[in-house]
Amino acid sequence: MHAASEPTETMMAGQIPLPVPSKMTEPFWAGMRQNKLLLQRCKTCNAYRWTPQVLCRDCYSEDYEWSEVSGKGTVFSYTVVHRPPLPAFKAPYIVAVIELAEGPLMLTNVIDCDPAALKVGDKVKVAFEKATDEVTLYRFRLA
Amino acid sequence: MTAKRDVAIVGIHATPQRRRMGKTVIGLMMESLNGSLDDAGLQMSDVDALIAYDFPAGNGEGATDGNVAWQLKQPINFVWQQSGASAVLTGAALIRDGLAEVVVIPAAGAQATDTEATAAYTRPGYEFTEWTGSITPAQFALQARRHMHLYGSTVDDFAYAASTIRNNAHINPEAMMFSRGPYTPADILKARMVADPLTLLMCSLTNDGASCIVLTSAERARYCRKAPVWVLGGAMESRKTSYLEAPSLDIINSRDKMMRGFERLGVRHEDTDMVMIYDHFAHSVQVQMEALGFCKPGEGGAYIREVMGLDQKHPVCPDGGNQGYSHNMIPYNFKIIEIVKQMRNEIIDLCPQSAEGIHTYDRSICRKVRDPKLSVACGPMTEGRHSFVLLEKN
Repeated sequence: MHAASEPTETMMAGQIPLPVPSKMTEPFWAGMRQNKLLLQRCKTCNAYRWTPQVLCRDCYSEDYEWSEVSGKGTVFSYTVVHRPPLPAFKAPYIVAVIELAEGPLMLTNVIDCDPAALKVGDKVKVAFEKATDEVTLYRFRLA
Repeated sequence: MTAKRDVAIVGIHATPQRRRMGKTVIGLMMESLNGSLDDAGLQMSDVDALIAYDFPAGNGEGATDGNVAWQLKQPINFVWQQSGASAVLTGAALIRDGLAEVVVIPAAGAQATDTEATAAYTRPGYEFTEWTGSITPAQFALQARRHMHLYGSTVDDFAYAASTIRNNAHINPEAMMFSRGPYTPADILKARMVADPLTLLMCSLTNDGASCIVLTSAERARYCRKAPVWVLGGAMESRKTSYLEAPSLDIINSRDKMMRGFERLGVRHEDTDMVMIYDHFAHSVQVQMEALGFCKPGEGGAYIREVMGLDQKHPVCPDGGNQGYSHNMIPYNFKIIEIVKQMRNEIIDLCPQSAEGIHTYDRSICRKVRDPKLSVACGPMTEGRHSFVLLEKN
């Protein structure tokens, strides 16, 4: 089951501060470049984790793989930001916490959505947004 | 009550809290550190432990034991990075075990040359946070929204809390927002929206300023200048690093730990008076009342209306709090300092003789709490770190 959303370019991604991968997180961003949402998955107990951590949060094993996840989730909480930190963020925009189908909570944006219509519990799906040749971002859309 | 009177707050100090004071962070910090030692009748040579998030001096190593000892040119037993109630609890534990005798807890903040509106640590350049545009208020709007969803809290609750606290600042000449009110809940709701559901007047201030607290043993406190305020104990628990991990209302999950803190001390919630909530955003008043165990999760909205006023059971933030008095980037100490000032009868308001400690209790001009004896100070109390300390009048 692969996330097949079309890339979008709704938030002027080229001008916002872009992520700088670390050695541990480079595989995540490599996955993003292929429109794949990867989470660390423990090879000992199979638990997923987010954000990237050195050890499994459940069994503390060092052994993990980057595993593609469904890109599906529900809105755990959200806010509509009216005061952007930089003009490149076009306010109002939605910052949300998504509860991924695989369990972890993920801070992100919900795009292409009327803020007044959004509710906690709404189903969403990942939307990949190519910012540069190196960086593709993960945001979410109503499913 | 089973708690012992063996550690005391003997010195406090706060500089003026203003925007862009043009002073360095270490300059402000030393001003308050010296001020608090003077308040206690102690000297720098008496200090043997320092607890502060940062110590921007020495060789640049920050708040480490070697760096602080070398810079101050005296031995130091212990240095740790904390502030507010967590720092007081840690310092008290050191003193109880004889590992230190005089603990100082300085905190200072200043906007450098930029005009950024929020503390730098609240907007980390983290690869999974920054590009989302998750400004500081957005992080806590996410927490507020989750609370609304799970427990039915409302923006009217938040506006009630913000107006109550800001009206205390309105009559506090030392507050950033002195004489800027009074506010009704409707005024709070009408303010510009920052991160829905939080309006500008539901958010903290940003300004420069410093504070410091001095702790010592009961034995040593007898020789200090002013009456001690006793540190009975409390509780602390960390769950995550705010701004890196997604907000999830984890503060409510610390409720059992906070309640056990009261139980361990043999103190019932109903025996306490003032509650210095860490009021960084307006929803935090009811959420922290729930997390501390004053009421059940979901009851906070109704509860704060019954208790948080100056003449009610648990006055909240008579100084005006983070929203009206000061948020100098590291405002946790103010929660403790206000309790000490109220217990010492050293607070300033608009009563004609407030400088002499004479208060009218006319709430249009007076923010003095009536005879506080056993008070609660929170902080940090946010999403990642949760703590409170119980303080008792001598």
